[in-house]
Amino acid sequence: MRHAVIAGYARSPFHLAHKGQMTKIRPDDMVAQVVKGLLERTAIKGEDIEDLICGCAFPEGEQGFNIARLAVFLSGLPNSVGGSTINRWCGSSMQAVHIAAGNIALGAGDAFICAGIESMSRIPMMGFNPMPNPKLFSDNPNSLMGMGDTAEVVAKKYAISREEQEAFAVNSQQKASKARDNGLFADEIVTIDGVSEDGCIRADTTAVGLSTLKPAFDVAGTVTAGTSSPLTDGASAVLVCSEEYAQQNSIKPLARIIAVATSGCAPEIMGMGPVGATKKALKRAGLTIDDIDIIELNEAFSSQAIACIRELGIDPSKVNIDGGAIALGHPLGATGARIVGKVASLLQREGKRYGLATQCVGGGQGIATIVEVI
Amino acid sequence: MTAINKVCVIGAGVMGASIAAHVANAGHQVLLLDIVPKDSDDRSIVAKTAIEKLLKANPAPLTHKRNAKLIRPLNIEDNLDQLAQCDWIIEAIVERLDIKQALYQQIDQHRKHGSIVSSNTSTIPLNSLVKGMSPEFCEDFCITHFFNPPRYMRLLEVVKGDKTKNSVIDSVSEFADYKLGKSIVHCKDEPGFIANRLGVYWIYCALVEAIDAGISIEEADAVLSKPCGVPKTGVFGLMDLVGLDLMPNILDSMVSLLDSNDPFVKIRRELPLLEKMIAQGYTGRKGKGGFYRINKDSGNKVKEAINLLTSEYNPVVKADLDSAKISINKFKQLLENKDKGGIYALKVMSKTLAYAAMLVPQAADEITAIDEAMRLGYNWKFGPFELIDKLGIDWFIATLIANDIDVPELLYTAKGQPFYQEHNQQLQYLTTSGEYTNFKRPDGIVMLADIKRVSSAIIKNNSAALWDIGDGVVCFEFTSKMNSLDTDTMQLLQQSIKEVKNNHKAMVIYNDSNNFSAGANLGLAMFAANIAAWPEIAKLVSSGQQAYKALKYSPFPVVCAPSGMALGGGCEILLHSDAVQAHVETYTGLVEVGVGIVPGWGGCKEMLARWTNNPKHPKGPMPGTAKAFELISTAAVSKSAEEARSNMVLRDNDQITMNRYRLLADAKAKALSLVDDYQIPQEPTFNLPGPSAKVAFAMAVDGFVRNGKATKHDRVVSMAVAEILSGGPKADPTVSQSEDDILELERKTFMKIMRHPDSIDRLEHILLTSKPLRN
Repeated sequence: MRHAVIAGYARSPFHLAHKGQMTKIRPDDMVAQVVKGLLERTAIKGEDIEDLICGCAFPEGEQGFNIARLAVFLSGLPNSVGGSTINRWCGSSMQAVHIAAGNIALGAGDAFICAGIESMSRIPMMGFNPMPNPKLFSDNPNSLMGMGDTAEVVAKKYAISREEQEAFAVNSQQKASKARDNGLFADEIVTIDGVSEDGCIRADTTAVGLSTLKPAFDVAGTVTAGTSSPLTDGASAVLVCSEEYAQQNSIKPLARIIAVATSGCAPEIMGMGPVGATKKALKRAGLTIDDIDIIELNEAFSSQAIACIRELGIDPSKVNIDGGAIALGHPLGATGARIVGKVASLLQREGKRYGLATQCVGGGQGIATIVEVI
Repeated sequence: MTAINKVCVIGAGVMGASIAAHVANAGHQVLLLDIVPKDSDDRSIVAKTAIEKLLKANPAPLTHKRNAKLIRPLNIEDNLDQLAQCDWIIEAIVERLDIKQALYQQIDQHRKHGSIVSSNTSTIPLNSLVKGMSPEFCEDFCITHFFNPPRYMRLLEVVKGDKTKNSVIDSVSEFADYKLGKSIVHCKDEPGFIANRLGVYWIYCALVEAIDAGISIEEADAVLSKPCGVPKTGVFGLMDLVGLDLMPNILDSMVSLLDSNDPFVKIRRELPLLEKMIAQGYTGRKGKGGFYRINKDSGNKVKEAINLLTSEYNPVVKADLDSAKISINKFKQLLENKDKGGIYALKVMSKTLAYAAMLVPQAADEITAIDEAMRLGYNWKFGPFELIDKLGIDWFIATLIANDIDVPELLYTAKGQPFYQEHNQQLQYLTTSGEYTNFKRPDGIVMLADIKRVSSAIIKNNSAALWDIGDGVVCFEFTSKMNSLDTDTMQLLQQSIKEVKNNHKAMVIYNDSNNFSAGANLGLAMFAANIAAWPEIAKLVSSGQQAYKALKYSPFPVVCAPSGMALGGGCEILLHSDAVQAHVETYTGLVEVGVGIVPGWGGCKEMLARWTNNPKHPKGPMPGTAKAFELISTAAVSKSAEEARSNMVLRDNDQITMNRYRLLADAKAKALSLVDDYQIPQEPTFNLPGPSAKVAFAMAVDGFVRNGKATKHDRVVSMAVAEILSGGPKADPTVSQSEDDILELERKTFMKIMRHPDSIDRLEHILLTSKPLRN
């Protein structure tokens, strides 16, 4: 089987939706600029790229018109490169990576750009025309449960206290601000319209400060805005190519994709999605969780991240070492490619072998990718 | 005359910044300058911070947040050259003569030829301000004294200096009238001008007399409020609002400038209580509290009042005085009442009214200026001379003599006759010479009261009247209590439509009241519900729907001219008119869900029609429906006419009038402009999302219920709104529905929700307490 490798990673700065510096930037322009940045950094020949696969959770409005194909045009790639938009909510751009890896294994292409985009300022969550199925809602209301509500269900079911959630959020903010201060994001961020720094990180977050926030979703609950990932604008992209192609073209790959998985779970505990997906992926890779050195586990909410860490028996010191989505932000469609690219580059930086990127997905799903350093 | 376009305000304190905000509200660019603070990287940080505060202040100084962009923050050290672009430069800096004069020297070096300079001083005489200034500066200079908060207080006192050119006063007056909506009172160059001279005297008198009489501040405020036609905050509440710390400065300044025989000087004395309060930080609402404070020590908010003798705070005790229950229409009964409230009111008001009479001709040439200043500067319902007329001049003179209060000459001039009279259908007032002269409004201003004085209604009933306002235009006036709407209103509206169709060209819907309409008469609806007279309620709903629909499709233009509140049914009538000419202070919205019901007179239908056809909105069945749902289910009320435009209660072609007095004239002009080539509007059709939308709305509302932002019954009422806006159970985006289909949904849903016991509780609660019930 031909192995796919992660051969480059780039992202835009992540900024708060509606308030941050990316609010006025069209999502198609944003993702195109990230793709352009990735092409410059990897020096890949445009005509060698088979397809640009772009993940997006709400592919409508300015994210409509098959944004992936638009990104081909806007980033200056040749017309020979295809473009397809893929939606698996928050797991969209990780799914893009999986599709690329699958195609490579099948011999259906050598190089792919796997991108992700979400402007949560410009395209509202739920989209412009949310029209859920009334019958489904009456028969199975949990299928449409809001994400914040699922975070409360998980907090209750797995007995994650508010204090634990807040300690986790503070830790994420501290790791992210330290990484930013040490310039550890510099090689991944592409400057977009003059913006070169992240905007979501709150370095001054304290447990005391968080304890004063009102619950965001349930008046009697424990989940607050401080322990949830913020609405974010951002884009990301990774170059996925076959190991042979990288060798032949003198591209230095970061890591090899050795297993991927998706799984489903009850929609009201969608935050637990990474558990099933990770277990499947580990089995496919012939590894145990202890073999994994570096983990990027998306922090949709503190409650689900903590519960997943516990259920999987993960050593917390391996998780999100440069901070997670609570601090950095979670532009839905862009997160998957970010954490796959991030885990691959962290293996290089930290000199470790195995990495796992996993995330929960709305509607009760999980997705996971295991990579090995090259 | 100088055409005023660009304005500059120097001094970014509360007044300066708020004046700049109001210039921006008028759509004009304004520069806001203040000092450069020491050790600051940003040299214009003072003005910038002031603008940030404007955006957060309550009540909002801006009529729309976007107006802040018209204010440019600058500083006095680097940017005085920008004055050369400005037509009017308003100084609103600290009340120090030397600092003001130094600034004027700088302004004079940079301003362009012919630009106007004015000061917002409240105490310093104009003659002192311009001492040593160039002749040209003196010609271009006047005092423009705004009242706080400038957006809401309609009074502008203008003082002309000896050398000030008439054209300067004309330019400023015109801009202030048309653009800033101010009513201009021309004052003499006397300390405190008119409103503060009398107003501060009144406040101080109230304080001193309360201490001397041993009356509690709750009792004092209970009589010096509604019974005197004064806002319900009362006089001590007012002092807390203004700030106690301002009192000594204003008093000292006034006392130093006034003649030693002036009652103001004579009443002034040391008040250890006031000094102690200020020293301890009890400076009013901006400080730890004032005469009233909110004590949170027990964990609850307890409103406390100070004891004027012991300076201790105790929980507020509601005054139990017969005098406090007397209506302003029986003002004389109040002053004759022998309980301690009546005796106190007599002392304070007789001295104050006598002082008012003393100020003519000292501070103003005419009594009308004093009355207008107190009505608009202190929100008195009646001016001092109108109040004296309520007492009767002879009774008042006798009362002053009996109480050993000097009787000003003007009162003797007036002896035996009122200050105001009607003669040949003309309102007249008494001049200092003892003769009457016709009361004239500024050019172009028409009030309905003026028309009513000289004519009879074309038709009328208990709830409304129709007046001929000339040039083929009629005015439909609500006349019920709070201008609430009932079947009589609807019946007269139907009759009026026929009348206009046959005999006139256009209709304006307007009234002189502070509030356009509080909406449907809930008392009637509640009464009917209590005796289960459901057919009566159904009749009220359908009569409103029919009348509003007839209004919308009448063969002549209809212009609504709201000011103040236009709620519920009062908002729905705006939605059914061809155009709205709104006063800038229009607070409108569909508030029905707050009282447990849904808009039933076509409000849902009209909001749907507007939002689903909004070309600026994303396409598809949901965005317009969702926006209408958001506005109606949260009972959103605009805080200005501009916000009403954002909510689409006003449309792009609707216009805003800044000056309340000009509203009727502007509405009439608007109506006449629509007469030629008038076309009856086309009926809209609706392609609505159906049950899917209800699911989406339910998901959103459930979230609000869970996070505590909505209550159990909010959900029930919101889902009733969702039922209408989604188009009902059979709606589908591919199927068009008519206006009548939506009206039927409104009626059915209204009748269903009206019967809900929790809705009845809401109605009952609001009628009993005037506050919404959150059940």
